[in-house]
Amino acid sequence: MKSRLPAPYGRLINRQKPIQFTFENRTICGFSGDTIASALMANQQYLLSRSFKYHRPRGVLTMAGQDANTLVQLPSSPNVLADKQVIEDGMQVTGQNYSGSLMRDWGALLGVFSRFLPVGFYYKAFFKPRGMWEKWAPLIRKKAGLGVIDQALKPAYHDKQYKFFDVVVIGGGPAGMQAALSAAVGTTEVLLVDENSSLGGALNYSRFDSDGLYASDLLQKLLNDIAANPNITVMTDAVCNGWFADNWLPIIKGNRLFKVRAIHTILCTGALEQPALFHNNDLPGVMMSSAAQRLLHLYGVKPGSKAVILTGNNEGYGTALDLQDAGVTIQAIIDLRKNPDYDDIAKSAVKKGMRIETGKAVYAAKRKGSMHITSVEVRKLISQGICSDHGEIIACDLLCMSVGYTPAYQLACQAGAQLSYDDASAMFTITNCPDNLHLAGSVNSLWALKDVLCEATNVAHKVTNKLGVTDLVLESPISSSIPSPNHPWPIFAHPEGKEFVDYDEDLTIADIINATGDGYEHIQLVKRYSTCGMGPSQGRHSALAAARIVAAATNRTVADTGVTTARPPFSAEQLGQSAGRSFYPVRRTNMHYRHLEAGAQMLQAGAWYRPAFYADKNLSTQDCINNEVANVRSNVGLVDVSTLGGLELRGPDAGEFLNRFYTFGFIKQPVGRARYALLTNEAGVVIDDGVACRFNENHFYVTATTGGADGVYQSMLKWNAQWQLNVDIANVTSAYCGVNIAGPNARKVLEKICSDVDLSAHAFPYMGVRCGLVATIPARLLRVGFVGELGYEIHVPQQYGEALWDALLDAGEEYLLKPFGIEAQRILRLEKGHIIVGQDTDAMSNPNEVQMSWAVSRQKPFFVGSRTISELEKQPAIRTLVGFMIDDKSAPIPQESHLVLSKNQMVGRVTSCCYSPTLDKAIGLAYVPPDTASEGDTIIIKSTNGALVAAIVTKVPFYDPDAKRQEL
Amino acid sequence: MTNEDINVIAPTLATRRSPLYRRHLQYQARFTQVGDNVVVDSYCNETSINDEIDVAESMGLCDLSTLDRIGFKGINAPKWLDSEKFHVPVLANTAEKQVSQSLLIKLSAHEILVLSDLLFHSKDVKRLYQNAVENHQNYDQQVYTLPRNDSHCWLAVTGTNASKMFSKLCAVDLRSHKFAQGAVAQTSLAKTNAIIIRHDLNKTPCFYILSDISGLEFLWDCLLDAMSEFNGAPVGLSALQTLVSSK
Amino acid sequence: MKLLSCPLNGLRNISEFTYGGEYHPTPDHRTTSSRDWAEHVFFHDNTAGIVIEWWCHTPSSFWFLAERNTLTDEVVRTFTPDELYTKPTIQHEPKPETTP
Repeated sequence: MKSRLPAPYGRLINRQKPIQFTFENRTICGFSGDTIASALMANQQYLLSRSFKYHRPRGVLTMAGQDANTLVQLPSSPNVLADKQVIEDGMQVTGQNYSGSLMRDWGALLGVFSRFLPVGFYYKAFFKPRGMWEKWAPLIRKKAGLGVIDQALKPAYHDKQYKFFDVVVIGGGPAGMQAALSAAVGTTEVLLVDENSSLGGALNYSRFDSDGLYASDLLQKLLNDIAANPNITVMTDAVCNGWFADNWLPIIKGNRLFKVRAIHTILCTGALEQPALFHNNDLPGVMMSSAAQRLLHLYGVKPGSKAVILTGNNEGYGTALDLQDAGVTIQAIIDLRKNPDYDDIAKSAVKKGMRIETGKAVYAAKRKGSMHITSVEVRKLISQGICSDHGEIIACDLLCMSVGYTPAYQLACQAGAQLSYDDASAMFTITNCPDNLHLAGSVNSLWALKDVLCEATNVAHKVTNKLGVTDLVLESPISSSIPSPNHPWPIFAHPEGKEFVDYDEDLTIADIINATGDGYEHIQLVKRYSTCGMGPSQGRHSALAAARIVAAATNRTVADTGVTTARPPFSAEQLGQSAGRSFYPVRRTNMHYRHLEAGAQMLQAGAWYRPAFYADKNLSTQDCINNEVANVRSNVGLVDVSTLGGLELRGPDAGEFLNRFYTFGFIKQPVGRARYALLTNEAGVVIDDGVACRFNENHFYVTATTGGADGVYQSMLKWNAQWQLNVDIANVTSAYCGVNIAGPNARKVLEKICSDVDLSAHAFPYMGVRCGLVATIPARLLRVGFVGELGYEIHVPQQYGEALWDALLDAGEEYLLKPFGIEAQRILRLEKGHIIVGQDTDAMSNPNEVQMSWAVSRQKPFFVGSRTISELEKQPAIRTLVGFMIDDKSAPIPQESHLVLSKNQMVGRVTSCCYSPTLDKAIGLAYVPPDTASEGDTIIIKSTNGALVAAIVTKVPFYDPDAKRQEL
Repeated sequence: MTNEDINVIAPTLATRRSPLYRRHLQYQARFTQVGDNVVVDSYCNETSINDEIDVAESMGLCDLSTLDRIGFKGINAPKWLDSEKFHVPVLANTAEKQVSQSLLIKLSAHEILVLSDLLFHSKDVKRLYQNAVENHQNYDQQVYTLPRNDSHCWLAVTGTNASKMFSKLCAVDLRSHKFAQGAVAQTSLAKTNAIIIRHDLNKTPCFYILSDISGLEFLWDCLLDAMSEFNGAPVGLSALQTLVSSK
Repeated sequence: MKLLSCPLNGLRNISEFTYGGEYHPTPDHRTTSSRDWAEHVFFHDNTAGIVIEWWCHTPSSFWFLAERNTLTDEVVRTFTPDELYTKPTIQHEPKPETTP
């Protein structure tokens, strides 16, 4: 480790714990706490990756996990941030996005042609002729690939957790630590979040006084105070990746996504140092000033041996002092300012006799025969962005840029704050935060440590006052006591280009100007056209420069130009974070395992599991289903109907309510009888159906469809919130299990285990309802006939379902009772011509269209859909749902949504169709024009593979048209 | 199967069966009979019941779905319960232990839930059901029973880690100082609707969950998964009864 | 995730609620014109400003109304339906027929 510095340099590393890993198959030694990048830098491996488009060599830029230069590949995950990922023993790291090797990437030849690869080149060049892009895209995408996905990887367990705090402070630098301390009074619960492994922010690496001692003293004091305060919860290595309404904060730590609700949020997210734009500003060895300081202080790594500092503020002088203290030779400080206003730190650098060039700029960086910076060309600044014609070459292997910051505005803007640009400070500023969001520190454009601490205290007091915990007198907001660190125009165009605005996307000054030249003047359009800010670093280092360049190119102010929307997530997150441990509730009936034991193939209907059919390994699926149908028609079958909705309506106005809600009349419905209940909405559209059973003058038990039950219940409650009728409505869907025992032998089976109800046809007729005991279980019996045979629906309290099922199968054994599934039930009901709401109806179906006008009462004054239905009846019908039969047995059986054609035009569609084992032919339901809806009309259906099939419109029911069998 | 197993009570002995009984059997549950119903007594031999109590004190889950409970709705329901010698709290979403030991929960101005106590001191639920059938079967007095015995499962989540575990499933803050004894939340738990009631077993934190019974197996699995981080496990009624009776 | 205050259950995540559409009084279906009825059924005011909306707290099936500013997405207040609706008097005639 040639570049390693002794302690106290390297706060985060443990020199007692060496760690070995490989990079590009070369063994690298580092220490516990090192990131991949810091360990590589310590071993003078400066080249980390190749750029996205031109495959240019790239190295460390921020050392803060904020840029795409450091993306590397681990065996199990691509796009790992090398300056964030801590090393582990045996870790295998490779570069990504190169052809050949990282050192000799022939993809870099693309850079030679870069002038022929303008923004939009790929789309412009490969879009025509049609279909070309599909051919080119895989090749181009591979070239611009970002790592390799391990497809054999088993996803790790990710989960989520809710947390609740009065105050959440995001960012654990000096502002965040102070704000958390000042807010954590009384009962206030405070969460302090930082994405780094330890608190402190810039106090860990930046220089706040000429001796470089103050920061660590302050840090220790703040850490001690926080540790001693029980109200403060600290989360490090945790990133708050967005701001959502009412302070809903997604915070990711490890494999867990914390959904944190705060009453107040204080953003202390700090500021992101910005690059200067000059020729080859992307070479390895060119980095942010703060990156060099992080390497020194956090990891004990000397980032170079001969440094040039390009600065537009006094902070660059602090970096120079830091580097010199660490043994780096300062070749020169290039100060963009003509007449700098020095602070104590800068004065101390001056005093040390460093070479200082004011009013000059780095015009270009060079890398003679190397992958690394070897020198810079320094020129005199003539006017904004314009340099003199000649300059001086200064040798160096490190160039630190210190030209200003952008506040980490992302979360604030997501919360609705405005981003404006202050020309005087040449800086983005954040204004108009919502009442429950506050800013402190450099995100709020404060730079002097005393200003930052003072404002953090102020803001915390404001918050505790708002929470009612304190009643403190608030200081007026602080304005910065020192000049802005931002230089207004650290942008120096070069005839050969390569002054990168966006490192992720290899975009130069000309690319941005060309985008405006192509007519894309709005910053949002510039982004989409040029892809500026669309890379992994999401414009953190390009937004400011892009806004300045676009503003200048379009003669607007930077404030008017603005930045693009900073949507969540703030930093890249794994899909597992959002996908991990989602909840998909499933519902089972009490007989669920009896179905499985009987070989049922289950299907999901909404959240419910239902048996599709009971498999017999000796028979085909269709034969199993057909046998189930036949057994019901000729003998007796049993189906689980527990998933049907059940609604209890009780009270003096129960009949009145149903009369208003459903289409039929219910006021005069006799006790002990069931009535079909068809539901329409205000648009007259059929939305559900069921039966209403009257057990008592004031008591109806209404069934609803499996999928519709919850919606019907909610709709009933909403209507009664308006009608205010004296009726109680209860959803008892889950409280009852139900079965339908159907077939000619149904009564014989039931009689064996139900003695207290007279089941004779005379005493308990079709559409009758009774209460009684079935196998000692209290039951509601409904004589209804969805499948068109003698049958009883038996509804019992849920936890008796399995016992009921067992008792019926037992009693039915001598009659060869067999369970049947949903598939058989669908065939049985279709043979009877019964519609299924949602399958045979759509969002336009009114009762007349589906031939249900018999279920609509014309006598009663009102029901929900009545006015619309009477309006529709004034107009000619558009379509009719009819039954059809297909006589040609060789024709492919149409399926749902196959089209009905007339003269090659679509005129209708099939809603249900199947082979009827009872009739030995295909039957179905279809919407057809009214003029072909008469019995005997022929319709043409475009069936599977385009076969045109003739079908005859048939009166329903297809089976037992006089409905004798269900009334046995 | 050993000879001892012959005396073991099968969960299918009763006609009323918790949808979870197969899962209980997988966990080697021993069942006990309570009236006509069967409930898990413990998941262990009697010699290690203390271990199960330890689990219940730190992170336990108990299926009480076959125990008696009943609901009432209607404008006159609170008044009627008052006449039946119950004390109905003023505020909605509060639970109150009755002198008879049963637990009365006011869910809204006109909706009440009554849970039997774990030691079966009170016969309140059965009595209420009988009286309601006798007095209100015509549904003209605006007092309506709700079949809470079957519409909703009844689970108990117990132990010092309970609220931490809930924070992985529920967006309501259920920490002790925010959700005190007697607090009730009608909310979403693992995306299913649930009524959560804080009802400690003496010093052991305990939350009752009433949720749609058709989703019980789903919810049970979600809870066990969330509990695994705290070494949580199913516990039987016996452990809970011990905690209730301990001083 | 937005918070909404349910008059029964207090502040909860918006994911616990079901939106029930804009509140507007139903016109008298017997007397209103076809056009006005169609407006009522098919058109929404989509007001920019304060609107009244129906919301249901799903776990408790509790319907209530919310005054919300559609420009700021701020919920001004929530209240129960009995503020807007009154109980009718229903004649319980005719009686159920006796079973034939």
